[in-house]
Amino acid sequence: MTEVSIVELGRGALHQLELWGDPAPTATRIAKALGHALPPAGRAEGDVLRLSPTSWLVSGDMATLAKALGDGGSLTPVGGGLVQIRLSGPGWRSLLMEGSLFDAESADFAADCVATVLIDHVTVTLRVESEASCLAYVPASLADDLLRFWQISAGGLPL
Amino acid sequence: MNAPLINFTFDGRALTAKPGQTLAAALLDQGIRLVGRSFKYHRPRGILSAGIEEPNALVTVGSGGREEPNTRATDLYVYEGLNARSQNRWPSLSSDVGGVLSLVSKALPAGFYYKTFFGPPKLWLFYEQFIRRAAGLGPAPTKADPDHYAQRAAFCDVLVVGSGPAGLIAARDAVRAGKKVFLVEQDAELAPSLLRDPAEIEGKPGRTWAGEIATAVRTSGGRVLTRTSASGLWDDQFVCLSEKLIEPGQIPANGFSQRYWHVRAGEVVLATGAIERPLTFANNDLPGVMLSQAVRTYVTRFGVLPGKRVVVATTNDDGYLTARALMAAGAEVVVLDSRPAPAGHSSGVEVHNLAAPVMARGGKRGVKALVATVDGAERSFACDLVAMSGGFTPVVHLHMQAGGKLDWDQAAQAFVPGETRQNVRTVGLAAEPQPAETVGAAGNPKAAFVDFQNDVTVSDLDLAWREGYRSVEHLKRYTTLGMATDQGKTGNMAALDRIARREGITIPEAGLTTFRPPFTPVSMGALAGLATGEHAQPTRHPALYDLHAARNPIWLNAGYWKRPRAYPQGAETLAQAGLREARTVRTAVGMCDVSTLAKFEVQGPDAVQFLERVCQTTVGKLALGRGRYTFMAREDGLVFDDGTVWRLGDQRYLLTSSTGGASRMATWLSYVRGHLCADLKVSVTCVQEHYAAIAVAGPKSAQVMAALTRSEAPRHMSVVESTIAGAPVLLMAASFSGERAFEVHFDASQAEAVWQAIEAEVLATGGTLYGIEAMELLRIEKGHLVVGPDIDGRLTAEELGLGRMVNKAGGWIGQSCLSRPDFADKQRKQLIGLEAIDGKAIPEGSMLVRFVGAEAEGHVTASGLRVLEGGSIALAHLKGGQARHGEEIYAHSPTRRQTVKVRVTSPHFYDPAGERYRD
Repeated sequence: MTEVSIVELGRGALHQLELWGDPAPTATRIAKALGHALPPAGRAEGDVLRLSPTSWLVSGDMATLAKALGDGGSLTPVGGGLVQIRLSGPGWRSLLMEGSLFDAESADFAADCVATVLIDHVTVTLRVESEASCLAYVPASLADDLLRFWQISAGGLPL
Repeated sequence: MNAPLINFTFDGRALTAKPGQTLAAALLDQGIRLVGRSFKYHRPRGILSAGIEEPNALVTVGSGGREEPNTRATDLYVYEGLNARSQNRWPSLSSDVGGVLSLVSKALPAGFYYKTFFGPPKLWLFYEQFIRRAAGLGPAPTKADPDHYAQRAAFCDVLVVGSGPAGLIAARDAVRAGKKVFLVEQDAELAPSLLRDPAEIEGKPGRTWAGEIATAVRTSGGRVLTRTSASGLWDDQFVCLSEKLIEPGQIPANGFSQRYWHVRAGEVVLATGAIERPLTFANNDLPGVMLSQAVRTYVTRFGVLPGKRVVVATTNDDGYLTARALMAAGAEVVVLDSRPAPAGHSSGVEVHNLAAPVMARGGKRGVKALVATVDGAERSFACDLVAMSGGFTPVVHLHMQAGGKLDWDQAAQAFVPGETRQNVRTVGLAAEPQPAETVGAAGNPKAAFVDFQNDVTVSDLDLAWREGYRSVEHLKRYTTLGMATDQGKTGNMAALDRIARREGITIPEAGLTTFRPPFTPVSMGALAGLATGEHAQPTRHPALYDLHAARNPIWLNAGYWKRPRAYPQGAETLAQAGLREARTVRTAVGMCDVSTLAKFEVQGPDAVQFLERVCQTTVGKLALGRGRYTFMAREDGLVFDDGTVWRLGDQRYLLTSSTGGASRMATWLSYVRGHLCADLKVSVTCVQEHYAAIAVAGPKSAQVMAALTRSEAPRHMSVVESTIAGAPVLLMAASFSGERAFEVHFDASQAEAVWQAIEAEVLATGGTLYGIEAMELLRIEKGHLVVGPDIDGRLTAEELGLGRMVNKAGGWIGQSCLSRPDFADKQRKQLIGLEAIDGKAIPEGSMLVRFVGAEAEGHVTASGLRVLEGGSIALAHLKGGQARHGEEIYAHSPTRRQTVKVRVTSPHFYDPAGERYRD
């Protein structure tokens, strides 16, 4: 059996950052405040993870971000609705191929890559933490269902 | 090699098999020839083939939930403890009472059912129980399958289907080109044709050569899957693979019995080979009449000699390979070749040219002789085995499913892959089958079988043709040719040949039926994956789920959500509990989990403009800390959802909408923001799951909220920020029950503390928990609408009785469509209330008619009770209903056989002035 560890981390203090209007000036201010640019499509950096063309999932120091944001967008708490699950061990990529249509085994899906995919009918946002683990952000209401799916699937992964 | 034998049973008889033998090989090895009874006539059947094309030797294996009927004995590897049973026989395989049907086969021609069983449908139900017993395959298992079926994605550059020499060469070339390769083989062994016909390839034993290629595939990052069949090929080289992790009926070590792969490939190489065709002569279905290559497989691969005196009847050169293999194994062999003798050629075996079988003689114990015409004269050959070869049919189903076309290969008398539409190519025998002749049917056509599994004879085809079924598609359905799990693997070409001969046309002109997946059967479990039982669909648990579960409610599956329907006390029924809870809300206070409501935070300088586009009610004048009921229309002007909008800050609003429409609303708001209002400075964030929410309703609800927050409860349709049990909450005064009520929204991670604090206060105040059942009673009585039954996307705001609330300044989505002339028709359906005149319950979903038998003028959308006074009431859509208050009509449900006389009323049965909302 290919080994994989599935650990439910629970809910966290997460916010959704949204930009409106011309995002460039706001993005510049945020980059200065964070010390790095807002990550592009399919990427994460630091505490910021790209969700869609105008939205990011963020954790950490909200005060700095809110100040930089000004009136260029919004910062909305969303952490109560997301359960974080860490997949680690040699089999985490293999596990993500179960019940999905996404190539988690691709070498291009490397550290700080982000993908929002359907797994067992659940919309999951994945962030590769390192070659050893991946963090999944799962809608809280479906977390029990997906955990069960992963726990069963982990027992039957192909070698 | 002296590997231990494997113990198994067949029809209760203890037997042994050599390792690696299929059930068919093991049975032949033990001298067992009679393996099954045919579908319709119960004719004794043996083993025809050595692969997935087997039509005769179908058995049931396993027990309980692992029982699997219609398993091909030729595609089942014997394992320790295998329990196989023959099918469609009673009381035993050798003494099958149903065998009498073969004596009256004249009375059971093609289309028998269509011609015989006329009459009312009820009569058919009577016939059916006898027909089901008399004809059929193995019965479906009745117990739940205890095993898991995995479903998995995979991506590769090249997918090779079939591991014969051609497939292996394609895989090797792809690996050498640096490609990631998937190599798929339905057999348990790679290169099974090299087990049947050992050969040296590139200076190495074929098996060694095959193994090296498989290793190269694996080490270059690809996969090699055996016991795996490609069941379907869809657009863009998307291929479904069905992998057997264990044999049918076997108990899996890790709980998984099969894996279903969804593979996206850059290129698909089809090396699917060809299936040998039987010859069509009388009694060609007797045990001991087998396909030639199958005989060779049993002799060479499995070390089994299926007969000692063998007639090889062939139309091609391949039959001679079988003859030689048999002779090498010690059998006496005679070859009947349909072709003239080639000049100067000696095969080293007794050969009769211009020879074709006419009839096999024998019985359930097997064939005893073959009668054939030899150069025009009839001769009989004593034998215990007939090995026949009528040529080869390329396996082209995946090519066809990919949208390919077929060409006709005259030399092989077979269809071969032609033009392709996707990046799919066919190699090997599937592309270039061996040359062969076509020999027409001979002997008694009533006993000359074309489709062995479905008991279709030459006579059946001729009858269908005489009755006018000329299209091959019609003929297939009339005769059942090539239906079900068989899919015409061995029979279709013989049938086409017969049709072409009758019609006086060529086989290509006769046409083909559609190639639908799957070609080989796929377990239903593999298609379902882990989505079985209570997980057949995703289950959504609200944040308060565990707290509800501890109170043992009656659950309701509301969409994917698991929601409490009622919290019964003692022996209460659902109806009793629901009514008690609703009455407590009317007289005291109740609390209900409403976390599943859709919720969106709308923020930005242009938030008001955005909301006034989305909502049909005014939003611009909403003061800070105030909220209002609202509803939303599509671009066609019809209302599709409703909810509330609350002003939380200068540029910050919370929009709620229905639970059932949450995903649709999220999509809609994204569309409106991105496409219809792209210029607005606004953000829309879905916070449906971030906020848990509890409704507290009833005349004592303000008292409860005041006690919890230690401040005066907000007035109706006001919102304040407060704290409960240390958790920040949004406290909104809004009612869905007709009573003074509040919704408490809070971070879902605080769910337990907030719930317990509210529950303690509600119970101390004489209140109760209430579920969806009570909520329905309350809201129906008040005339509040639910998205789905009441707001079904077919009525305008005016027709729903919401016209007074519409923003007269306009600007909302859908406004322009309301000027369509049809919307001015006052006979369109409108929302109304109904009260039962005689007190009977009004059936939900029933039709509204002026009298029973009259045309339906509407339907009941929701049905309930007056909570305190009793009496049945309902909400409904009725043509011109708003002008028909007081009219008496009928709610008629033919399916439930219920008819209730009702009076049309206003939909507001309770406190129509809304006085109870206010303190």
